[in-house]
Amino acid sequence: METKIYILVVEDEPDVLDSIVRDITVFEKFFPIEMADSAEEARELIDSILEKDDEIGLILCDHVLPGDNGVELLVEMQNRAETEDTQKVLITGQAGLQETVRAVNEADLKHYIAKPWQKDELTKITKELLTDYVIDHVEAPLKYMQVLDGERIAEHIRTGRGITDR
Amino acid sequence: MSKLKWTGLILGITGFLMPLVYTFPGLPLAGHFAMSIFLMAAVFWMFETIPIYSTSILVIFFQVILLSAEGFIDYSAAVYDPLPFNHFIATLADPIIILFLGGFVLADASVKYDFDKNLTRVLLKPFGSHTEYIILGLMVVTAILSAFMSNTATTAMMITVILPIIARMEPGDPARIGVVLCIPFAANIGGIATPIGTPPNAVVIAALNQQGLQVAFSSWMIYAAPLAVVMLFIAWKVLLRLYPPATDIISLTLDSKLKTSPNAIVLYTTFAITVLLWVTEGIHGIRSSIVALIPVAVLTLTSAFEKQDIRKLPWEVLWLIAGGIALGISMKETGLAEWMVGAISWDQFGYLMLLAVFGTVALLMSNFLSNTVTASLLIPLGISLAMSGIMEGQVFGMMMIGLVIALASSFAMVLPISTPPNAIAVSTGLLETKDMITSGLIIGLIGLVLIMLLSVIYWPFIL
Repeated sequence: METKIYILVVEDEPDVLDSIVRDITVFEKFFPIEMADSAEEARELIDSILEKDDEIGLILCDHVLPGDNGVELLVEMQNRAETEDTQKVLITGQAGLQETVRAVNEADLKHYIAKPWQKDELTKITKELLTDYVIDHVEAPLKYMQVLDGERIAEHIRTGRGITDR
Repeated sequence: MSKLKWTGLILGITGFLMPLVYTFPGLPLAGHFAMSIFLMAAVFWMFETIPIYSTSILVIFFQVILLSAEGFIDYSAAVYDPLPFNHFIATLADPIIILFLGGFVLADASVKYDFDKNLTRVLLKPFGSHTEYIILGLMVVTAILSAFMSNTATTAMMITVILPIIARMEPGDPARIGVVLCIPFAANIGGIATPIGTPPNAVVIAALNQQGLQVAFSSWMIYAAPLAVVMLFIAWKVLLRLYPPATDIISLTLDSKLKTSPNAIVLYTTFAITVLLWVTEGIHGIRSSIVALIPVAVLTLTSAFEKQDIRKLPWEVLWLIAGGIALGISMKETGLAEWMVGAISWDQFGYLMLLAVFGTVALLMSNFLSNTVTASLLIPLGISLAMSGIMEGQVFGMMMIGLVIALASSFAMVLPISTPPNAIAVSTGLLETKDMITSGLIIGLIGLVLIMLLSVIYWPFIL
């Protein structure tokens, strides 16, 4: 089986969760989306994805969650080898400065999206971050080209020599 | 492992074992071993059970073990005079491999200093802003670059050029598909123009060299470049017909700024001198593989090309070609190729018919297989056939069949899997496979007809 790259969305309000997933649905064909409503559920999902030898390319995470908060979860992922490279994004209206700083410093936060967000913004960020992930982690990035930043992937092929004449 | 790969593995091993168990009448002992290697290589290359370059390496490995003087088989009682093992491993330093190495160094250094990108922008400017001429410009530039660089790297680079252009076109404009398709097609066509344009050329030229036939860089260009020019023009017309542009003008912003660092200047100079010496080989007679050492030496001694750049060279392509060359050697030396060719009474065919058969088979095969593999599998048979004198003189016959095999394998561009440039183009998501099938089929068939035409009205008069 080929390794699948997942997008993980963690959000406790069902309406918000739906609308995040709706906004990034163009990627779903290539990057299956998994949803969780708490850090606890997210952990289980992460474990089950990793168990299948699949990867998590991107996590879009709310901060205020029942139980452990989002920043907590992101820091935890950063400290775990298999999810260290997962692109981490906070989507929230309520993370304070201190927690946000922690997410930047300790979880290598890639982006902070303030609620309410624009669909274009979310799609663009998702595309860019997944492109980064794919370029760094996938040996044959060609198949993802059509949903990601094609120019950057082509440039990567030009300079990285992933594909040669045959 | 997929089912297909398993099938390949089982068939490959069966193929390898068959000549060891069964004795083919008329085929000497060494020929049986050569056939084992041939069958295994053919199956593994076709099914890609293992990467195609590993199959090539395996070919050389088994030749050393089974067919060399230092190998495990005792040939003292046989007619076959085993070659020293360095004969097989030396294929990795065959003059044509060194020629490719020089080409790779030039190409990779160009990428390093963005010479390919900036040159593209400079060359595209004269083509103006009319959609159809922009498409022509893209094709001409792609073909020129891919004649000296890898078709794949050229395609990847050109895709970064066309994506912004396409983004500015109307969403429903059919010419968007034309713009995407023109790149891989031009890259495939451009590859035929020079010996270093694409690996199948190397396999064919090396096989001809083994027969004592030297093919000068400039001579190859005289044989093949006119075909590339005509095919490029035809492909352009076909794409315009199939995907007529909805708007006349596309605004292009082509900012190019050639780098001017000392290293970049060294590269430009070396590039110019090397290419100049290559294309004038017919005048000064210095062999292209010797000229190829110039970029390797100059760029490394000036540190324009450094250790990590050397590591990044596509070495597996050189192995792939070497395996192809080696396979040809063992098939010829052991008498296997002759035996296989002898199994069919070719004299009923007539000489042009034979060329047509080889051209068609090459075109068909390489649509599904690697172009290099196609050439590697066909050229030993083609050369043996020519040696048997069926084709109006051995030397002439070998050249003809070599050209037909090399050129026809490069004209396979029907499917995404036909060539890496095709795969890249389809991966953009801007076209469907059926678009590629339609136009690729038309262009491939016209290409085959033109090859046959040249075999009658052009090559016989210049060879």
